[in-house]
Amino acid sequence: MNHFPEAWGRPRNDVYGAYDHSYLQTLGPKAHTSSPAVTGTSVVGVKFNGGVALATDNLASYGSLARFSDVKRLRSFGDKAMVGFGGDVSDMQYLDRLLESMDIKENYSTHGNMLNAKNLHTYLAKVFYKRRSEFNPLWNHVLVAGFDGEGEPFLSSADLLGTTFSAPHLATGFGAHLAVPILRRKFPEDTPLEEVSQEDAVAALKECLKVLFYRDARSLDKYSIAVITKDGIDLKEDEQIQGQSWAFAERIKGYGAQTV
Amino acid sequence: MTSFMGHQSRGETIGYSFSEPTAAPVKQHSFYPYTDNGGSTLGITGSDFAILAGDTRSTSGYNINSRMVPKVFRIGGDDETGEGAQILLSVVGFAADGNALKERLDTMVRMYKYQHGKSMSVGACAQRLSTILYEKRFFPYYVHAILAGLDEEGKGALYSYDPVGSYEREQCRAAGAASSLIMPFLDNQVNFKNQYIPGSGEGHALEPKKAEPLPKNTVKQLVRDAFTSAVERHIEVGDGLQMMIITREGIEEVYHPLKKD
Amino acid sequence: MVSELHASLTSIGTGYDLSNSVFSPDGRNFQVEYAVKAVENGGTAVGIRCKDGVVLAVEKIITSKLLKPGANKRIATVDRHVGIVSAGLVPDGRHFVSRARDEASSWRGVYKGPIPTLALANRLGGYVQAYTLYSSVRPFGVTAIVGGWDTEAELAVDGQVGSGPESGSGGKVPGAKAGGPGLYMIEPSGLYWGYYGAATGKGRQAAKAELEKLDLTSGNLSLADGVKEAARIIYVAHEDSKDKEFELEMTWISSVDGPTKGRHEEVPKELLEEAEKAARRALEGDDEEEEDKGQGEQMEE
Repeated sequence: MNHFPEAWGRPRNDVYGAYDHSYLQTLGPKAHTSSPAVTGTSVVGVKFNGGVALATDNLASYGSLARFSDVKRLRSFGDKAMVGFGGDVSDMQYLDRLLESMDIKENYSTHGNMLNAKNLHTYLAKVFYKRRSEFNPLWNHVLVAGFDGEGEPFLSSADLLGTTFSAPHLATGFGAHLAVPILRRKFPEDTPLEEVSQEDAVAALKECLKVLFYRDARSLDKYSIAVITKDGIDLKEDEQIQGQSWAFAERIKGYGAQTV
Repeated sequence: MTSFMGHQSRGETIGYSFSEPTAAPVKQHSFYPYTDNGGSTLGITGSDFAILAGDTRSTSGYNINSRMVPKVFRIGGDDETGEGAQILLSVVGFAADGNALKERLDTMVRMYKYQHGKSMSVGACAQRLSTILYEKRFFPYYVHAILAGLDEEGKGALYSYDPVGSYEREQCRAAGAASSLIMPFLDNQVNFKNQYIPGSGEGHALEPKKAEPLPKNTVKQLVRDAFTSAVERHIEVGDGLQMMIITREGIEEVYHPLKKD
Repeated sequence: MVSELHASLTSIGTGYDLSNSVFSPDGRNFQVEYAVKAVENGGTAVGIRCKDGVVLAVEKIITSKLLKPGANKRIATVDRHVGIVSAGLVPDGRHFVSRARDEASSWRGVYKGPIPTLALANRLGGYVQAYTLYSSVRPFGVTAIVGGWDTEAELAVDGQVGSGPESGSGGKVPGAKAGGPGLYMIEPSGLYWGYYGAATGKGRQAAKAELEKLDLTSGNLSLADGVKEAARIIYVAHEDSKDKEFELEMTWISSVDGPTKGRHEEVPKELLEEAEKAARRALEGDDEEEEDKGQGEQMEE
């Protein structure tokens, strides 16, 4: 027994060696997300005459493990805006709840939710930027689709750093490498929007998803696709990639120990 | 016991386990809060105008994010279109920081007008921008900013900044990815560096050609030439050239296509 | 009866009515009773629990010709599926709604789904009751009617990403029935009951009499008919203060497959006008009947 109550009930240093306080202390750096855990891959989007189409596959991966295969990565906001999420799924769930609570608050007024996709994008970009500035990022890359204040089709991107950009067609993750070139070929950026039909846009997205399924190892042939027009959102969440052909795989040679 | 009087910690003295907490090993953040979105900007002043220009490409690594992301903004306008602004700002580097910086400066200049009933002078705005940047000295806005306007005498004013707020007034300045390509060109074509008056002497006795403010149309053409050349040699520059010309009459905005390769 | 009246009269001025949280010797909290008086002066509010939804209606006395018609709403939305209308002090009602919204939001924070109407009524009842306990506050000068529709459909958890297992643990129960309409009335004491039809405010007696005629207990009244009845009841209740002009505000919450898809919304303008027209016609009809009777009596004489 000694006269230092702090020592009571603690292992004695002279018996057990110096106590490692680093396990108890609350000071020091606070742990934040430094890498994503369960992730979704590419999001692809195209503007067309009178609206925007958005698509993702339904996979959530845990590293290289295909962990969840019916994940809904397209989320609606109000009745004329959508967000497609790539990156961390738990951060997506957080943002979805955030947007849900915002939509509820908007609907307190009798006018309903007046925020359009452009407003939503600005807000999300600021949330991302704020969190990255706190070194506690929301690990996502999102596409926001809908209409702007003038009623024109709107498609824009925001990522975990708060970086934003807009273009007639966009894709996140692997899609930025594989889908964007396809979309740029199909609809060159100087084509007037009036010349891009809804059918062509949807067909192009399906084509992109197929190519992504061929070449992106963390992708799935089950996908969701949303078409946003003035009439509202047409969201399909249980689609299957059609017309796959793996004939090209026959010609791929020269990997690993393979010699012929 | 005597050591209690001194500055030795109690834990060390008595050998029990309540010594001062040792700092936990510092965890390494693998999150890097910056990225480079490429692109270049350029500002040149004349006797009664200032031009601020930038390409409209946004990149991430080898990807082109978009071909139309402006880098030059009106500051202190009356509405979201920027109508009524008398100051221009260009930002190049990390675009998210650039946007945040633009929005902060814009609101400050607008607040100044609401509070004082008059527009902020470029000189004051230039100092304010420096302060905004320096406030984040230890987590900087990763941007190279250029501010342009007309000074109290109506002459073109141009201020260039480093990311932490060091600034100076200059005749011309190129910033961003292709600044090392454009700046020497500007030295030669705007400040007539390495240009001499023919037949004015032999060797070092050659008289340098004296720099004087250039007319607006000459400068406009210089800007276009600077960018078309930069596009040829730098992969992060291209797609479009956005040019804003501020004169006594107001702000004129012009867009020229650039090569998209 | 006489002694009770005597007690109430003599209690005033004894000091027991001056402070909240203080009982009078005969077991009453006068501050709460005075709050009820404030409610009794407010515009009539009614709620009807129908088989496929809930209707809320309120009589708004026009206190100034300078007020913009249709503006200054008195029925508020809480979360998506609940509406609240109150009679009494309007600012107290606003604060009450604000608390309801906070409760609904915090429920979502914990349970990742919409708050059941009963749970909301319970929490609000507790909140109002707390304002009868302390001398530093006064009770709410409102009686509020809380109407909601608890979804009968399988609802995704907030932020849910997958469909969940088809069967087994955590799986779906085929044909499970849940949800439905909810209607509660919370009084200044914090007392709340669930109702088939609820009425408060100045014209509550007349409104209650009308509500009782509707046979709501059998659960046959449709939402569409409920809208018409609610409008008519407000018009009937207004008969006693005919000299004042009023405006009818009405909202509804239908089932998920009904017109509002489980959301609390304003009754559409056309429907409201139709209901008001029918209400006026019904009143005129009553008047004629009375006039006929009157004439008959005269003739007999």
